[in-house]
Amino acid sequence: MLTALILADSRFPGGGHVHSGGLEEAAARGLVSDEPSLRSFLHGRLVGAGLLAAGFAAAAARGEDLDVLDAELDARTPSPAQREASRAQGRGMLRAARRAWPSERLAALPRDPHQPLVIGVLVDDPFEAALTCAYLAVSGPASAAVRLLGLDPFGVNAIVAGLPVQDVASRACKELPALGSPALDLLAEAHLRREGVRLFGS
Amino acid sequence: MKASARLVVSPDPHGNSVVRVLRSMTPLTLVPARRVGPVALVHLVSSVTAPLGGDSLSLTVEVERGASLELRGVAATLLLPGSSGAESSSLVRFHVQGNLCYKPEPTVVTGRANHTAVVEAELDGHAQLRTREVLVLGRAGEASGALSSTVRATRCGKPLLHQQLVVGSPSIDGSPAGLAGKRVVGTELVLDSVARESDGGEWWSVVPLAAGGTLATALGEDVVTVTRVLDAI
Repeated sequence: MLTALILADSRFPGGGHVHSGGLEEAAARGLVSDEPSLRSFLHGRLVGAGLLAAGFAAAAARGEDLDVLDAELDARTPSPAQREASRAQGRGMLRAARRAWPSERLAALPRDPHQPLVIGVLVDDPFEAALTCAYLAVSGPASAAVRLLGLDPFGVNAIVAGLPVQDVASRACKELPALGSPALDLLAEAHLRREGVRLFGS
Repeated sequence: MKASARLVVSPDPHGNSVVRVLRSMTPLTLVPARRVGPVALVHLVSSVTAPLGGDSLSLTVEVERGASLELRGVAATLLLPGSSGAESSSLVRFHVQGNLCYKPEPTVVTGRANHTAVVEAELDGHAQLRTREVLVLGRAGEASGALSSTVRATRCGKPLLHQQLVVGSPSIDGSPAGLAGKRVVGTELVLDSVARESDGGEWWSVVPLAAGGTLATALGEDVVTVTRVLDAI
């Protein structure tokens, strides 16, 4: 449980703070501008991309073959921008984890692993791994919204607290999901093409 | 209604593709074009209003090495609810060793429909596949029914694309992270050895998949806008 808490902590030095999960592009287009539109964004992100990631974290925690999971998650992530964001966050998390929790299972991870696999290996209880992953799927974009849109941190925190993160984590433990997120994929690709100042890597 | 249909296309010694097996079952009626050439053309005609709630349809298509098939729809598919409230389902299986292009017309998810669609494509080392899906969320002025549509494509057992689209939940369809409130979503999957650069606009993209192949995705308010993107690759 402690490992899960440390990974979900925004002060964990895994480099997650440079990713907005599509929020920066959505905000730049005016799709997210206030608390109701942020709630809608985060809810959609949680039950789509969040469920997918959490399912793979749970599967990795159950001890399933990591190379197979890596290839299956690639097949479920058609957007190269999304694949790179997931692997960059996996890389960052792995760097910190090697110092904190060295283990053989960490060494068994493929090169530049997707983040959910790293979470699953570190948090070996499937539900806790899924919960950590689902929470991270919304906590990063939520804090990005505070920074980018100047929203009230108390209001944003209340939105996150009201999201069905535990339900999604429970569902993620049942079967390997394959839910696509077409709009998030398009936002991620457009974010990379956007010229001018960007605060976040994704 | 339960129905299963099967189609097998083989090469002949002259380099033509010929339909060897053609087993239709209402409503899945397969109509081969009377022509001889390197690409066989077959139209998939829905010969009864389908699918309705409770229907279970399955189609298996095999394209042998050296053969090419173009399988086309002729009219949009309307997913409709049945009187019992039961769900409907469709399963399309492709076994491709040659070259297959599958272009059904758009699928309209009418209100109260409850449908599960699965497309499974298994390719061998040199096989090529092009397949399109265009979903319309409800008829004009109508809320969408429920649809889960899954595509899984593998080459020699390795996964290339596995994607499920779920529509019909207003809170997700309307979310900027769901379908961003767009009424039409279209994808075109091209599995071949051609390398294509990433490209995109506000609501469309063409991207290389991790293990080979290309996926075009477009969201829009109408079918014309979306299919224009898909036609371009």
